[in-house]
Amino acid sequence: MGIDVGKFLKNPEYDIRITTYRDVFQVAALECDRWGDEFRKYSAAVFMSKIDMAKMGFKKGDRVKVSNTNGSIVVEVRETKRDEPGGIAFMVNSPWSNALVSGDTGGRGIPEFKDIRAKVSLSKDEVTGMEKLVVGN
Amino acid sequence: MVTCTGCALLCDDIEVIVEAGRIKETKNTCLRGAGRIKGCVNRLVPSIGEQRVDVGNCIEKAAEILKNAESPMLFGFDNSTSGAQVKAVQLANKLDAIIDDTSSFCQGIMVEKVLRQEFRTCSLDDIRNKADVIIYWGSDAQDSQPRHLSRFSYFPRGEERQRGYEEDRTAIAIDVRESNTAKICKGHFYRIPLKGDRRFILALMDALSGRVPKFDGYDVQKILELSGILKKAKFGAIFAGIGLTYSIKDDAGILADLGRMLPNFHIMPMIGHYNMRGFNENLFRETGFVNSVKFGSEPVHDNRYSIAETLREKSIDVLLVAGSDPLLSLPRSIAKSLAGMQVVCIDPCVTLTSKISAVNIPAAVSGVECGGTAVRMDGKKVELSACVESGFLGDEEILGRIMEAV
Ligand code: SF4
Repeated sequence: MGIDVGKFLKNPEYDIRITTYRDVFQVAALECDRWGDEFRKYSAAVFMSKIDMAKMGFKKGDRVKVSNTNGSIVVEVRETKRDEPGGIAFMVNSPWSNALVSGDTGGRGIPEFKDIRAKVSLSKDEVTGMEKLVVGN
Repeated sequence: MVTCTGCALLCDDIEVIVEAGRIKETKNTCLRGAGRIKGCVNRLVPSIGEQRVDVGNCIEKAAEILKNAESPMLFGFDNSTSGAQVKAVQLANKLDAIIDDTSSFCQGIMVEKVLRQEFRTCSLDDIRNKADVIIYWGSDAQDSQPRHLSRFSYFPRGEERQRGYEEDRTAIAIDVRESNTAKICKGHFYRIPLKGDRRFILALMDALSGRVPKFDGYDVQKILELSGILKKAKFGAIFAGIGLTYSIKDDAGILADLGRMLPNFHIMPMIGHYNMRGFNENLFRETGFVNSVKFGSEPVHDNRYSIAETLREKSIDVLLVAGSDPLLSLPRSIAKSLAGMQVVCIDPCVTLTSKISAVNIPAAVSGVECGGTAVRMDGKKVELSACVESGFLGDEEILGRIMEAV
């Protein structure tokens, strides 16, 4: 039986800068059931321009690990609805994006929700579930 | 007709069809509003620890926890009626507690400038009737306040704008991303770099004063063209979204400076939660500050009293939360400290925060199951009425009963 060398190779990791935004479908899902699949579906994703996806070798629907010193999540890669110039990735504001936001507010009280630096790489793990994002888990 | 409490537009033209005491259908709402009015699938049950108990016991327990707290904090109330907010401020005063709402990490800086009259502002009705140039800056209203363009700013006919968006109005979007709102602002979308708002304002101010704008990598012609449109406006509005607020949070006065160069323009912060402005006004009236206040011999405002900082510094031991879910909306790295304190949660629904709360008190959904008043994003006072009978207590009554018991 041959050894699956690929299993031991680390997927390449890229630097990524993420900004967050609001999505009315996600907010409606939140109103109905913040514990439900719909809310997770709209939240647990990172949206990237075609250009960046090609650069990093990601395809629509790939799962990626996004992590920094604040936390680590696995989400799905999706393509931005409109052509974006690249350099910035997008997440809908949610507990998933909040897992990556620093608690350091510079004493101002306002965390950097819209400017998140992280590393991104392909992952075979399941998309992070809400249970994992609740404190204590 | 009922009023929608889905966002701070407080649309008052909503029809609901009630069947067997439940809302079956809503008319005229956007998706967000329909979601709010139809409500959540998992209602909160009254509990102490894991134990289901009656609401009266929960209220007594909440009062006991608050009474025994060394550094209590009250947080939320942006999804509560103005009456409940007034009660919350009184309770904070009685307990010498900290009080704050989501505006401390949202639009508080901007609303404060409106209340202190550092921004020239106007009503949404003025905008519908008069506005010819509207700017969505760091704001995707189509997704956050979905009927803003259709009811007030762009699409409607207005007294002085009878030709509507086809001829009478110009909509502009300034944003990092081509949002759904930017898509509507055809030909007038100005894409700026992340955190580039301040530099863009400075470049625009240069253009307005006849100097050649400087903005690395940006087409100067586009800034000059924008300045030309703004100069010609008869009645303009800048809708300041959260994207702009976060980007200029350390120097929000720069927006007031821009406003001074545009005498026909009005600035309006785009508010999400339906009664955030109400909270800011109620606390401002009482203390002179819009959020992050600690009561004592006199009320003191400090960013240390913002929810993000109190959780980061773990400077409180008890948190009463009403109509907000800090575990959902704050960075996990600081929200984690909630697990180490006693939390009292008042909410219609099971939230992330309710899962770790010592006491859960279910509340009526305001504007659906209980009435009251609220303040629209432009400062207009709006009446809310109940359209179904649920048996749940409103936030105002819950807070009133806690206050009697402490
Ligand atoms: S725009 Fe806001 S207030 Fe109006 S229906 Fe939608 S959610 Fe409700």
